[in-house]
Amino acid sequence: MHIIVCIKQVPDSTQVKVDPKTGTLIRAGVPSILNPYDHFALEKALEIKAKTGAKVTVLSMGPQQAVAVLRLALALGADEGVLLSSRAFAGSDTWATAYALATAVKHIGSFDLVLCGQMAIDGDTAQTGPEMAYHLHIPQITFCESIDANGNTVVVKKLIEGGHQILQADLPVLVTMTMPHDYVAKYPSFMAAHKAQDKIIRTWTETDIGADPHKLGLEGSPTRVDRIFPPPTRAKGEVYSGSAVELANKFVEILKKERVIK
Amino acid sequence: MAKNDLMTRNLMLDSLRQYAKNRISFNLLREHDAKNEIPLDILKEMYDHDILGVHLLLIPEEYGGLGGQTTEIYRICEQLARIDLGIATGVFATFLGSDPLNVGGTPEQKAKWFTKIAQENKLVAYGATEADAGSDLVSLRTRAEHVVQNGRVVGYKITGSKMWISNGGVADIYTVLALAPGGPSWFIVERGTPGFTQDVHEDKHGIRLSNTAGLAFDEVYVPAENLIGLKEGQGFLQAQAVFGYTRLMVAAFGLGGGEEAVETALEYAGQRIQAGGPLSQKQGFMLKLITPHYIRFEAARAYIDWTAKQLEVNNHGLATEGAIAKLYATESGNKAAEDAIQAMGGFGYTKEFAVEKIKRDVKITCIYEGTSEVLEMTIFRGRWQEHLKSRGQYYINQAAEFDALHAQNPQVGADSVALGLRALARVLEDCRANKLTRHQYVTFMLGDLISEMEVAAVFVRQCANKIVTEGSRFDLATLCTMARINARQSAFKTASEGLRLVLGTCPAIDTAQVSQAVNLVAIEDKMRGLIDDMDTVSAKLRDIFKK
Ligand SMILES: Cc1cc2nc3c(=O)[nH]c(=O)nc-3n(C[C@H](O)[C@H](O)[C@H](O)COP(=O)(O)OP(=O)(O)OC[C@H]3O[C@@H](n4cnc5c(N)ncnc54)[C@H](O)[C@@H]3O)c2cc1C
Ligand SMILES: Cc1cc2nc3c(=O)[nH]c(=O)nc-3n(C[C@H](O)[C@H](O)[C@H](O)COP(=O)(O)OP(=O)(O)OC[C@H]3O[C@@H](n4cnc5c(N)ncnc54)[C@H](O)[C@@H]3O)c2cc1C
Repeated sequence: MHIIVCIKQVPDSTQVKVDPKTGTLIRAGVPSILNPYDHFALEKALEIKAKTGAKVTVLSMGPQQAVAVLRLALALGADEGVLLSSRAFAGSDTWATAYALATAVKHIGSFDLVLCGQMAIDGDTAQTGPEMAYHLHIPQITFCESIDANGNTVVVKKLIEGGHQILQADLPVLVTMTMPHDYVAKYPSFMAAHKAQDKIIRTWTETDIGADPHKLGLEGSPTRVDRIFPPPTRAKGEVYSGSAVELANKFVEILKKERVIK
Repeated sequence: MAKNDLMTRNLMLDSLRQYAKNRISFNLLREHDAKNEIPLDILKEMYDHDILGVHLLLIPEEYGGLGGQTTEIYRICEQLARIDLGIATGVFATFLGSDPLNVGGTPEQKAKWFTKIAQENKLVAYGATEADAGSDLVSLRTRAEHVVQNGRVVGYKITGSKMWISNGGVADIYTVLALAPGGPSWFIVERGTPGFTQDVHEDKHGIRLSNTAGLAFDEVYVPAENLIGLKEGQGFLQAQAVFGYTRLMVAAFGLGGGEEAVETALEYAGQRIQAGGPLSQKQGFMLKLITPHYIRFEAARAYIDWTAKQLEVNNHGLATEGAIAKLYATESGNKAAEDAIQAMGGFGYTKEFAVEKIKRDVKITCIYEGTSEVLEMTIFRGRWQEHLKSRGQYYINQAAEFDALHAQNPQVGADSVALGLRALARVLEDCRANKLTRHQYVTFMLGDLISEMEVAAVFVRQCANKIVTEGSRFDLATLCTMARINARQSAFKTASEGLRLVLGTCPAIDTAQVSQAVNLVAIEDKMRGLIDDMDTVSAKLRDIFKK
């Protein structure tokens, strides 16, 4: 079995700010991380690998420094990495990104399972995975919290409003993964980090994968970003603790102070 | 296998950070600190090959380790110090304890002990210090006597005691300095060897998460093959061979501890509203308590990294550079932690925040691996030789390099460095001509001024060459501003302190003449725009550390 996991390098969202004047993201000095959903999806792929001996390839599109997330994935146990990187990809929206990634998947050749994160924490659209399934002409299951696979089928737990579904699908299929609230990402040991240096990462351009340049970048992107702005900041709430009686008294006191009641 | 590249280093640092984030909470640190307890389980986990395996960094690859380069080891040390200096010391003691083996061991000894340390995750301790032999190791009393069989030395009986040994109470393997008939030598002693006992854990001011204990040896028998290098009398040479390197690691401790303290204070200052606005917006607050420390940290980082890269080429030596790095970074870290408490006011003084603990912890970095005063003497001696050998041209020649750098790039403070180096050369020459170094105090202060100028010079040179030191969070433009500020202040300190020393020890000398010779006026003239530059750095700090 061959699993391809799509992983994206994102700025650590806890540290990104929007420049209020220009409306662009201030990324300078902000460390980049592996998108947490992709980190989770990768760990699931590696669990399947441990059980079935599947091969795991990680695929990322981004600037040259995105190679760092591929290295992390290799250190965690993925077998090979592919970086799609060239000017032609820059400015792609989700549609063009999905086209590029899907074209790369086809170029890699045989595959049984494509895993994506549910969404990237910077773009937040959750569109790339489903759009890739369209380009690849394969079925998709989104928003899954767990996955198990053997050579022919996958069984997933897909979250839905108020519950979950257990679904089974024949391979090949594309699955997007969400993650549990208490998920703690795994990181490699020093030795694993060291050994990952010897694993292969290929860098491909649009010509390498035979992608149509008109379907990439700004030209291939039907969406245009109008503007980006930070949500208005709200004043911090205050938290009180104590017994029910103490809290009730506190509220009355505050409401009086704010002249809501007398 | 290839050496670790930058990406691998960053991966290791990420893993260490994430491990600490998930496993080492501030509460855990606080409790252990209060109870004076060692988190031995944490140390064991950090050694666990599947979790981190930090100790593998110091083990050569042929023995199952990672053969870590100086750069990644110092960066890991810095990160460890940001987590907790006690835990950092526990890890470092294994590094330090293995060093005599690394420089002096035979291939068989290395294979045996390194493999053991790597595979069995053994904690190591380094036993040099004794009650009467601290800075002055020559007064060593612990003895190793020959045990002879059939006319052959088959082993040694070690008798004596050691004091304040990190990991002393918890290590499995000890490298112990003792006086053999042929001179001071390192021996490997395993826990459990008959006659070898460990004292209780000391009750210390700081690094209370690091085990520190005395060792006692009562006719402890070790086989001759445990003599490192199989040759007596090599002990001091083996110890000195790695000083450049080990002191660089403690320099990184000072840097990491200081950074953590000031960063805590700066984040606090961004939220603490006093007199209508956050403290981080108050100019005096920033320029007095926060900004200068970041400038010194970046200077220290540039210097440590530069020295690390030199060590990777030269392998050993660079004792003066290691001493400069340690003196500068640990004293800077210590002062920074002190100001971090001040910057947080009453909160800083309580145990609710980390800075109070960091302040207690970071002080040790100015004491172990050579006290600051011992380092000042070392630095002075090293460069005094250069000054004499070159007939006073050592720093004058370097000044010429900075004139040229200034011509290419007038923004980085190379002009101030050139002035400072010339002032330093002048002060050294006045000291020589008037025999002023008979005053021990003068030698200490010269050591300090030398380190001040050499660090400033490297920082400026790195900036002029557009090098952003790895691990720095600042962009090149900000680093250039910092280097420019630092160069001016170091030059000023060198010239004015130098004058104080010369005039203070040599009343007969002509004031106007000396003052003109160090060119204090020209250095003062460089101060224009200094406060504006510092405000620029403050603004950048607010930007980077805004929550
Ligand atoms: C109109 C528009 C214009 C844009 N212009 C630019 C631009 O000029 N420059 C720019 O840098 N970005 C630009 N972006 C952002 C970029 O297109 C998206 O980040 C990218 O398409 C992925 O979308 P997302 O972040 O919402 O990911 P989602 O769709 O939320 O991601 C879902 C999953 O898809 C996979 N995935 C997504 N992206 C990648 C990737 N690059 N490599 C591997 N796997 C991936 C991951 O598994 C991820 O978890 C633009 C976006 C839009 C909508
Ligand atoms: C927590 C801790 C952990 C340690 N871990 C280890 C370890 O793992 N292994 C190990 O071998 N040692 C260890 N040490 C010992 C440490 O290296 C020594 O404390 C240090 O070298 C200083 O020696 P000392 O304490 O005897 O001080 P002293 O040498 O007595 O110095 C006292 C003061 O006098 C100054 N001074 C010293 N000599 C002179 C001089 N000639 N002229 C003027 N002033 C001078 C010093 O700078 C200092 O200010 C540790 C110490 C501590 C506190």
